[in-house]
Amino acid sequence: MDIATLSSQLLIGLSRGMIFFIVAAGLTLIFGVLRITNFAHGSLYMLGAFAAYSVSTSLGHGHYGFWLALLVAPITVMILSLIIERGLLRFIYNRDHLTQMLLTYSLVLIAGDAVKIIWGSEYKSINIPEGLRGSISIWGASLPLYNAFLLLIGPLVALGLWLFLSKTHLGKICRATATDREMVDILGINSTRVFALVFALGGWLAGLGGTLIAPTTTVSMGMDANILIYAFLIVVIGGLGNIWGTLISSIIIGMGEAIGVLLIPSVSIILPYMIAGILLIFRPSGLLKSVW
Amino acid sequence: MVRMVGRIKSSSLMRIGSFLLATALLVTGCGNSPTTASGKKAIKVGIVDTYTGGAAVYAQDSLDGFKLAAKEIAAKGGPEIDIVTRDDEFKPDKATSWAKELVMRDQVDFLAGTTNSAGSLAVSQYAKENKVPFIDWGGMSDKVTGAAGHRYVFSTIPNTAIIGKAGAVQISKTPYKKIWLAGSDYEYGHSVIDNLWSNLKKIEPDVQKTGETWWQVGETDFTPYINAIRSKKPDLLVVGTGGADMVAFMKAVKATGLAQEIPVWVHTSIDPATLRPLGDQAPTGVLGTNPYLSSYPDTAANKAFVSAFKKEYNREPAAFALYGYMAGQFLGQAVEKAGSTDKEKIIDALEGLSIDTPVGKATLRKEDHQVAIPMIYGTIGKTDGKIAPIDLHTLSPDEIMPSIDDIQKARAKK
Repeated sequence: MDIATLSSQLLIGLSRGMIFFIVAAGLTLIFGVLRITNFAHGSLYMLGAFAAYSVSTSLGHGHYGFWLALLVAPITVMILSLIIERGLLRFIYNRDHLTQMLLTYSLVLIAGDAVKIIWGSEYKSINIPEGLRGSISIWGASLPLYNAFLLLIGPLVALGLWLFLSKTHLGKICRATATDREMVDILGINSTRVFALVFALGGWLAGLGGTLIAPTTTVSMGMDANILIYAFLIVVIGGLGNIWGTLISSIIIGMGEAIGVLLIPSVSIILPYMIAGILLIFRPSGLLKSVW
Repeated sequence: MVRMVGRIKSSSLMRIGSFLLATALLVTGCGNSPTTASGKKAIKVGIVDTYTGGAAVYAQDSLDGFKLAAKEIAAKGGPEIDIVTRDDEFKPDKATSWAKELVMRDQVDFLAGTTNSAGSLAVSQYAKENKVPFIDWGGMSDKVTGAAGHRYVFSTIPNTAIIGKAGAVQISKTPYKKIWLAGSDYEYGHSVIDNLWSNLKKIEPDVQKTGETWWQVGETDFTPYINAIRSKKPDLLVVGTGGADMVAFMKAVKATGLAQEIPVWVHTSIDPATLRPLGDQAPTGVLGTNPYLSSYPDTAANKAFVSAFKKEYNREPAAFALYGYMAGQFLGQAVEKAGSTDKEKIIDALEGLSIDTPVGKATLRKEDHQVAIPMIYGTIGKTDGKIAPIDLHTLSPDEIMPSIDDIQKARAKK
């Protein structure tokens, strides 16, 4: 094996990690601030992909379809998340975890059937936008252009989240709510409005993840369950509610899996779970500090 | 826990529901034994298949094909076929419980279905124990008519043993020797690849396996797998995958330009169900076998079937429509041949029965009750600038059916 293969595999793994990060960041944010195990996060990701399909095909698979979808689909999912939060979730914040899990799980079932009713069960596909087809060569390592694009988007999202959480007033309230909700309430800040905002942001991230993955895969029912397992795994390894922990663990899982596929293909399927197991043995509460 | 909560809340709903159901049953006159206009007893077929979820596309196709055949038979003055359907939700345990209910309460004479292979095996086991004939038109596991086969199970769908052997024959016609095996990590993927590899080694003893890669079902990004395989430089990549993975895998083949460097073989790569969602992003040069294409062979029988199906359902028939259609034709013609609606006599009539189908002569083999039909093979290419299967050829059933010896050995081992 040569260095070029290894480095191109690492870059592909890194780009895979970026998708994981975008989706898991939304989940961990909701975990951290709302303290809700959002099983429906995968469904929001799936809805993002389907919405992206609708938007891009409405322009007849043209050049601009994907770019418009990238703008519209995550916002659609964000609005839907807002409706879910205001219409359902806000009534159960004081209930026990089991009720919350049941509610978000029921949303998984509803979303699954809704997708079938609205879009049908046939497999759907979005083309990779014209400008991002083909491969490029980075120091001799070949990388599909679309993966390179993901490598650009991931850090942008991370940067945006960092700016939001550390530089804005709202972001500071979010962090404060995550650390000590009671204190925030005592200070007279309306924390449920913060919850709505965070849930909407989480939904936007899930929708963005779904839109970004759509051109590389099949838009189909069942994509919700697959990402959910990865997202939970990453959130737990990273430390519940910690965005930077999520970023690190996304990269570890993405790259670890890609290297596993290259070096030991026979066990590559269980590799993410092995990595998770080993990391949790040494750091049972996650890589970085959990907010719980 | 989900269920318990639901039960408490829905008890009054259930009472209303069961009342409505009882009324509906009275109104429709369910429970009367059906008789045809001519006074002959109709054959009642209970269909257990997946009508919700991702696999519903296939179940709907086979059901429509079966209905079309039943209609054609009745129009010719043949026996009448009544149909009852149940949704197994792609769950084997549901499939068995529906099968039981259909036999005991609805008193069906025949069972048919199921797209889930595990479901087919479960229903087949029930069929064997209760001596109710079962026609499998959806489960592709080679165990159904292979190791787990018996007198009461028939299959009108080419199984993984046939697919694997057909793939081996197609590959043996190419110069490729160093083969990389890959696929989705589930029964179908492994079964196709195992059958293909064992047959290929028999036909061409000098082939070498350079390695294997398995990914989980529902994989979203195939680039790391393809990149890794490409670096090992095999002559040919053989892939066992289907469903949603198929389209995603083909997209990755196109995006990485793999097929230009290393040829790829995948069963059903040339199928419209694969090519339609891919549009102009289908990777040209990928090889594949396919049990049925509405556009090939260009025979009068196929054209007649396509136009009849289109007229009835306003869409092109896919492979599963053919499987359901064949099941209906076999059943109708067997009842006529037997001259009776006695199940054992119909089974005797079905054994070794040959009928004319859209793909030519089809035979339900006497020994294992597996349908023998030809297999198409070809390449993804372009005709008039549009993506289409090209370079099409047909393999005869003799070339691709597993030998009776092998079947009997597999059954003896069990």
